[in-house]
Amino acid sequence: MTDLTVPKPRSELGEIVYHLVRDPLGLTGLVIVLLILASALFAPWIAPYDPIALNVPDRLQGPGAAHLLGTDQLGRDTFSRVIWGGRVALQVALPTIGGAILIGLLLGMIAGYGPKWIDNLIVLLFDTVRSFPTVMFALAVVALVGPSLNTVIVVIMVTSVPTYGRVVRTLTQSLKEAEFITAEKSLGASTPRIMTVHILPNVLGPLAVLAAMDIPTVVGLEAGLSFLGMGVKPPTPSWGSLLNDGYNLIRNTPWLIIAGGIPLILTTIGFTFLGEALRDVVDPKLRGKGGK
Amino acid sequence: MTTPNISWTRIGLPRRSFLKGATALGGLAATGLMLPRPAHAAEGTLKTRTYADIRSMDPAFSQGVVDEEIQAAIYNKLIQYNPGRQWGWQLDAADMIEQVDDTHINFALKDTIGFTNGFGAMTAEDVKFSFERIIDDTLESTNKPDWGPLDHVEVTGERTGTIVLKNAFQPLWSITLPYIAGNIVSKAAFESVGGKIDTQPVATSGPYLHAGWEQKQKTTLRRNPDWQGEPAAFDEIQIYHIDDEKAAEIAFEAGEIDFTRVSLDSVERLKSSPIEGTTLDEYPSLYYVWVGMNLDNPKMANPKLRQAIQYAIDVPTIMAAAYFGAAEPSTGIIAPGLPGHRETSLTGAAANLEKAQALMAESGEGNVSLTISVLNKSANVTAAQIIQANLAAIGITLEISLHEGATFWELGSDANVEMVLNRYSMTPDPYYATSWFISEQAGIWNWERFKNEEFDALHLTAQSEADPVKRAEMYVRAQDLMEESGAYKFLTHEATPVIYRNSIVPALRPDGLPLYRYFGAA
Repeated sequence: MTDLTVPKPRSELGEIVYHLVRDPLGLTGLVIVLLILASALFAPWIAPYDPIALNVPDRLQGPGAAHLLGTDQLGRDTFSRVIWGGRVALQVALPTIGGAILIGLLLGMIAGYGPKWIDNLIVLLFDTVRSFPTVMFALAVVALVGPSLNTVIVVIMVTSVPTYGRVVRTLTQSLKEAEFITAEKSLGASTPRIMTVHILPNVLGPLAVLAAMDIPTVVGLEAGLSFLGMGVKPPTPSWGSLLNDGYNLIRNTPWLIIAGGIPLILTTIGFTFLGEALRDVVDPKLRGKGGK
Repeated sequence: MTTPNISWTRIGLPRRSFLKGATALGGLAATGLMLPRPAHAAEGTLKTRTYADIRSMDPAFSQGVVDEEIQAAIYNKLIQYNPGRQWGWQLDAADMIEQVDDTHINFALKDTIGFTNGFGAMTAEDVKFSFERIIDDTLESTNKPDWGPLDHVEVTGERTGTIVLKNAFQPLWSITLPYIAGNIVSKAAFESVGGKIDTQPVATSGPYLHAGWEQKQKTTLRRNPDWQGEPAAFDEIQIYHIDDEKAAEIAFEAGEIDFTRVSLDSVERLKSSPIEGTTLDEYPSLYYVWVGMNLDNPKMANPKLRQAIQYAIDVPTIMAAAYFGAAEPSTGIIAPGLPGHRETSLTGAAANLEKAQALMAESGEGNVSLTISVLNKSANVTAAQIIQANLAAIGITLEISLHEGATFWELGSDANVEMVLNRYSMTPDPYYATSWFISEQAGIWNWERFKNEEFDALHLTAQSEADPVKRAEMYVRAQDLMEESGAYKFLTHEATPVIYRNSIVPALRPDGLPLYRYFGAA
């Protein structure tokens, strides 16, 4: 006898996860990202040593049973610093991307839906911010106000806003002319309602893809600033400061630079794979085609 | 207008001597004997490295060793530093120089030294011009302090003169005449370009010519064909600007350069795995590194707190981790080998935690949170983290504030600075060290704003003191005063390890800095 029960439809999130795990690229990305998130979240339990505790007599040791990735010039356990460095990377990346999305969303929707003169003004603002090379801008600000985690977050957030804002503006402009929006307007829907109920949900998907692809960029930027000594303050562990220590001691012990480099590579691969797969899932035209 | 009755090379050949010489030469040629080559002890190019680009080829405005390394090769001084392990000097442009009393130094120039580009022989007028222009207020020379109490130079003949000082000045022989301010330039050449130059010399006189400068890339020196002194060893010296020491080491290992300073963390590796055909030499350095505390900052006003910090800092750990065991703890601002070096400091190198904790308790301070400003260099950052841990042990929270060079070197005028990890360069006379810490320098180079009348008086008196023992005692006392103020914890003088190919014979000052004019080929 044929079972005629209709399968329960998956939620939107469930649909996304379903398609992600069926895509090898997406699954790989998801696993890596979850590992990075878990290691950052549970750093106090995973890291075998205090990442800032000095032990100079044990400095510059190679990998071994006591220290999986060896020690740095101050005798600190490199593995513990890598784990805690992930927490710093995400502490920078998540609020930065989150803040940039929020501001970009707001400005982009206003620019896309509002009158032309506001659009022109906001686009000019975006172009002005984008005209500064991000790294140079960050270096200038950090040099002026001094390096700190908050400075890094604010600088990267400000320079990332135009990326999101421009995408939202373009999507809003195209949605504004859509028939269902015209119908809503004719039914007397207010502008805030149209923007929050009808436009917002339609721009969130592409933004999520963009955010996933941007996280490695932000993590890399933070690492770059820390590498130059302009990021987080010592002794806070950061992948960038690990790279810096490793660079200075590369001829003596290559382990430091390897330890600092691998998590950066993994983060880039993980979030890029996840972003690619997410793009395929979110875009109905690409869903099920592997993005081809 | 009269033409000076001088030529820059003295021929001085009477007719009879000429005939004798010609006969002898003819005889040698007939017997097939070769004359010894008068110059060119070695051929080829010496490739070396400097850590910064040049700023000026004008001795009145050159800034430190980078410019001087080149100027010492292209200009002459009355006296030059001796290469070797002991500080001393040798005659250069001077055929004779003697101190006749505290304030008068007679000199006579060699008659074989002349300037390039047709600017004639070096005369006493050139010496007078070179020295007096530096003390001329209208020129605003950055190197005026190097000439101390110079009054004037009296020209007594074409090549003779007297340096007249207002009062005795002992550093004259150690840091004035043989260093930057002692370079002699051509009066005529400088006047032809308005009185001063930038990076392009108008006329030079040394064993090497300034053959070219590519900004931030390299300076090229070429053998001066008219040089009559000890022959220059190389056809050409190429001095590459390689800021990063690691990059310089890689360039050396790749055979791109023949000589470079190496980083302290590479010493152990280069000792355990020597590069074939090269030599690693370690020289002591004159630089001094210390932790300073701003006496004008209310947070640092408690002397017991400052003393607690002095005793809490563990210098041997800093030497091990930040300097890789290649440098020794220092006792003050005057390095070993110079008059006034202290054998021990008052607070000792190793931390005395018990004493630090006791002083902290006596201070009555609680929840102390301080900031140390640090120039963003690897050794500094490492040292600062050790200091941070040391101070944590006595209940002080120390925040590390990293600075780029541009912002760091502005901190002297910032009255809000609390603690600073600092490093100054040094010349081989204690006068140079104490001059930055007098009251007049507070807020300029005296970042600690240390003001002590006895110190100021010692600085003034010691520069004129002819008795070396008494002079040394004065500088010892001056450093005691600095340390007793609680504003200083002396860390190290660092070290200068250098590596070179065995095909060359480097000529280095006792602090490891190169004297290219004396470099030779093996």
